Amino acid sequence: MKNSISQIKKTLIEKKISVGELYDEYLAKAKSGNNNSFNLVIDRENNISSINDSQNRYDNGNPLPLDGIPLGIKDLFCTKGIKTTASSKILSNFIPNYESFVTQQLLNDGSIFIGKNNCDEFAMGSSNETSYFGPVINPWKNKNSQKDNLVPGGSSGGSAAAVAEGSCVASMGTDTGGSIRQPASLCGIVGLKPTFGSCSRWGIVAFASSLDQAGPLTNCVEDAAYILNSINKHDFNDSTSSNHQREDYLIDINNSFEKKIKIGIPSDYLEDVSDDILNQIDNTKKALSKHGIEFVDVKFKTTEYALSTYYILAPAEASSNLARYDGIRYGVREGGESLDDIYLNSRTKGFGDEVTRRILIGAYVLSAGYYDAYYRQAQKVRRLIKNDFQRILNEVDFILTPTTPNEAFKIGDKLDPISMYKNDIYTVPTSLAGLPGISIPSGLSKNGLPLGVQFIGNYFEEKSLLQLAALAEKELSFNE
Amino acid sequence: MSDIDIKRISYLAKLKLPSEKEEFYSNSLKDIIKWVDNLKKVDTSKTEPLHNVTEKTVSIRNDEVSKSNSVDDVLSNAPERAQNFFKVPKVVE
Repeated sequence: MKNSISQIKKTLIEKKISVGELYDEYLAKAKSGNNNSFNLVIDRENNISSINDSQNRYDNGNPLPLDGIPLGIKDLFCTKGIKTTASSKILSNFIPNYESFVTQQLLNDGSIFIGKNNCDEFAMGSSNETSYFGPVINPWKNKNSQKDNLVPGGSSGGSAAAVAEGSCVASMGTDTGGSIRQPASLCGIVGLKPTFGSCSRWGIVAFASSLDQAGPLTNCVEDAAYILNSINKHDFNDSTSSNHQREDYLIDINNSFEKKIKIGIPSDYLEDVSDDILNQIDNTKKALSKHGIEFVDVKFKTTEYALSTYYILAPAEASSNLARYDGIRYGVREGGESLDDIYLNSRTKGFGDEVTRRILIGAYVLSAGYYDAYYRQAQKVRRLIKNDFQRILNEVDFILTPTTPNEAFKIGDKLDPISMYKNDIYTVPTSLAGLPGISIPSGLSKNGLPLGVQFIGNYFEEKSLLQLAALAEKELSFNE
Repeated sequence: MSDIDIKRISYLAKLKLPSEKEEFYSNSLKDIIKWVDNLKKVDTSKTEPLHNVTEKTVSIRNDEVSKSNSVDDVLSNAPERAQNFFKVPKVVE
């Protein structure tokens, strides 16, 4: 069992370990690089002032909430003076002059960044195979075919693998259609996507601006609450950042619910799924029923349209967001006779296959003659999907679903894009609705691989969502 | 669904696909567009498009001048620069 943030802080307070020794322990694992989970690892010398400042605060008896905790940061967050590539060739030389809002909060709370986690290129992928720096390997092996390297999920695959292999205590990821929850599930850890608008997008390399949301990948639910306390703040630099009053997510996390809780299970999500997946739902249901939680069957009307809606809207927004990569102001420039040649060559050589494909889809659905039929229609269906969730959340407090339709698969197994896109069938609808979702490990498959379940809560109600997840985690925890 | 003019789409996206890859992307695009075509059967005649899921969150700050990046900061990642400018090939004769 890996140590939680509160356990690590206790050993630091009791001086059983120093901040520097703690950093070295994680650094050694991060540097071994067996699973390619980091694009860049930060040596102790380059973090020495942060390490010393943190140790001083412990010595003076006033540590900050995340003091000395070594964190991984998905290579999609701009980090001041530290290369930020989005795992793309076109940004492979980019060194930001500013810190993203979210990572700045983590620094303000005393955490120390151990490196930048590998991810799918521009966060486009569900297996971490689209990274310019090569695929990430899932630390878990199929017990019936130990030799095979499996995908960690994506796009925050490096983050998930790093937490699972123990090379950072937690990692910051981003989720557009499942990019935190799906890899968390496939790597046997916790992944939280907060409500859209909770955590500022400022300084995160943009993929789809109406969907992107930052969130933590952690070893346990309590750690997710620690991180959320740090990053969940209003920011004027993100016009979609909500200015509602935030709560303390840690306090009360282990309390039982004061009122009777009702959870909906969408039966349409469970048609044609494997026994492995059904078992996760059954086990969760059994475990939580013991605590007086009631389960009811709910039915969505829009599930079959979710992936189509997503694969119109996300590429449309991506094609627009990625127009900024032109080889002029930053990033890799490929030579050309004219300005237009520079644009064309830099973009064509700078983007990988999947990113190119999504830019093309986006350009198509936004082009004259197709805009209303695809883009505008998808935005309308998105409202129907949101309404569908709101109708169900009027009947129940939470929704329980599998996180993924399958366990981790072999690297190179899914070549056709549509079968890859279907990996996000359970996470995409929540993203379209903008609701918070958390994946927690729920059990092992027949092949001994981790699987997760997803709890979905109402807008900005992360506090009760974490409380429920913490309760379920106690009942469902399994040892590696 | 009409045929996809991959040359036109890629030019709109400022991409110059190598000719041997045009078919690959064209077929891939066709498959995906066919797959998302099921949205056409949804009745949305009375539905407004949704731009921002949380709708009420937009907040406006006071318009105050603040110090942000310096010229050197902005130009530090430029592939080519000349003094305080980004450098590109000549665009006017």
